[in-house]
Amino acid sequence: MSNSVIDIKSIKKVYKMGQEEVHALREVSLNIQQNEYVALMGPSGSGKSTLMNILGCLDTPSSGNYFFRGKDVSKLKDNKLAEIRNREIGFVFQTFNLLARSSSLKNVELPLVYSGLKKKERDEKAKNKLTEVGLGDRLDHKPNELSGGQRQRVAIARALVTNPSIILADEPTGNLDSKTGVEIMKLFNDLWKNGNTIILVTHEEEIAQHAKRIIRLKDGLIETDEINSNPIIYN
Amino acid sequence: MSIFEAIWQAISTILSNKLRSGLTLLSVALGVFAIFIAGSLSDSIDSTVENQLNDLGENVFMIKRMPSGGFGGRNWRKYRSRPRINLKELDLLKREVKSTKLISGFASDGGNVVQSIYTESPSDVTISGIDENYFMNYSRSIAEGRPISAGDLASNNQVAVIGPDVIKRVFPFSNPIGEKIRIQSQEFEIIGILEEKGAVLGNSQDNMVLLPLNLYIKYYSNRWESIDISVNALSQDKLQNTLGETIGAMRLIRNLSPVEDINFEIETNEALTEQFSGLRQTITIFGLLVGIFTLIAAGIGITNIMLITVKERTREIGVRKALGAKSRWVLYQFIIETITICQIGGLIGVLVAITLGKIFASQVDFTFVISGFWIIFAVIVTTLLGIVSGYYPSWKASKLNPIDALRYE
Repeated sequence: MSNSVIDIKSIKKVYKMGQEEVHALREVSLNIQQNEYVALMGPSGSGKSTLMNILGCLDTPSSGNYFFRGKDVSKLKDNKLAEIRNREIGFVFQTFNLLARSSSLKNVELPLVYSGLKKKERDEKAKNKLTEVGLGDRLDHKPNELSGGQRQRVAIARALVTNPSIILADEPTGNLDSKTGVEIMKLFNDLWKNGNTIILVTHEEEIAQHAKRIIRLKDGLIETDEINSNPIIYN
Repeated sequence: MSIFEAIWQAISTILSNKLRSGLTLLSVALGVFAIFIAGSLSDSIDSTVENQLNDLGENVFMIKRMPSGGFGGRNWRKYRSRPRINLKELDLLKREVKSTKLISGFASDGGNVVQSIYTESPSDVTISGIDENYFMNYSRSIAEGRPISAGDLASNNQVAVIGPDVIKRVFPFSNPIGEKIRIQSQEFEIIGILEEKGAVLGNSQDNMVLLPLNLYIKYYSNRWESIDISVNALSQDKLQNTLGETIGAMRLIRNLSPVEDINFEIETNEALTEQFSGLRQTITIFGLLVGIFTLIAAGIGITNIMLITVKERTREIGVRKALGAKSRWVLYQFIIETITICQIGGLIGVLVAITLGKIFASQVDFTFVISGFWIIFAVIVTTLLGIVSGYYPSWKASKLNPIDALRYE
């Protein structure tokens, strides 16, 4: 179990909506190893978003345990969770979520600002990551000066800049046309090849087929958890 | 998270909402302006008074129609009905007071044109009517030539002592002693040049022409002119005695019965200081109150604007938190932004206050003192304002749940 990045043991999540209790996650156990490429699927209401939020340390389960690299993070306070998110998790969002008034470089630097790195180191790391995703010549561009695909690349560079343990991508191609979407999926493929652990949250079958393992949720439970025998692989 | 980044963020927030931030900045600027003006005015009055006291020796007191403060408020009616002090009263007083002979009459008028055979000055020269005791009582001396004497007054000599500034302007090439100057229709022979005294707090003491008092009154005064009399008691010991004798003599001259109030003003240095400190206090308190209330209103406005800003930037806050910003970083960021907005407003207020203060001071004979204390005070006040008014919105921002914040449209 030494290579286990994420180890979830029978977690439940219950929300109170007025008088009613909503069981978003009934009982979910899950283990994700280093350098896995996992797609998390499910219709709305399946608990997919809730699970993603817990995996991303944005939320904590009502009961059960969540071991991240062997450390129980299921009962941590907000500030501790923020530290874990900062160091261990790279988020990629559907709507990119870049700071509109900041340059690509500043956007990519942001997580490093919160981890307390000096300006010079930040600049260097951010530049390297932007170059890796093919935007070495777009450092000073603001998001509104970039195409959708380029924005998502900036967001990916931002997710990678802290060398996180997992990359958590929430519908990363949802706001892109299919051609650009393919480019982004190629990029994820490369990241996986380079040893990154990727969790892809999507409701699109075609996108999910890029992953090597597909987990389907339904009504707060894992319905299926299968190895994708025929994944889309780009060379 | 560096402070500079937060400050820069604040500036771009301001720029992205020009009207809204303009109004906020204006309210902060107004409040700081009022406080700064009040503080600086009170300092300025201090140094103006000090200046006046230095002009007169410490053993000299004044007899005037109205107090120097001039802003008598409810006593204005009383002062207005007082008779003017005229030449005849001055002569009588000189005769009656035995304990000192250093009694001097003085009247003056600013904004005059002085002509020589070469050229003429701008209309900013002060002409003063004086007598032989002026030089002693006002501690002025003659650089060249001779002062105006009692004899000049007695024989109505058309003579003048002029200040170095006037010479520079109307006698650029030659020694003016013995030359003639013309003021309006009258010609005077220059008999002496004043020793340079320099500008005292921006107010030149050298741009003046001294004339015999009787001729000044004859040619240049209107019927409202009242002479200021200075009395030099020579020593602090004799001051009280001379003061008593002078008041008695003036009562006699004006036929005041023992039960009547005096209808002239006696100003000792002490009284002058007191008068001005009263005025000073009023201005300071009034200015501070106006400033404080304006700043309270500004603070409420800022809280409101920051609440809107936080709402508008909910998504951004969510992203920052997802990327690892701790609650207190978000709190600091927004508080620093608020402080920056307040500081910029304060800076505008101080700059406007200094500019207007300078303009005002150059229009009237007054020196506007800019003190570091009030600048630091403004910085502290705006910082506190930023913290107080920005705290609640910033706290709200810091408490946002990242999941909800990221979902916010």
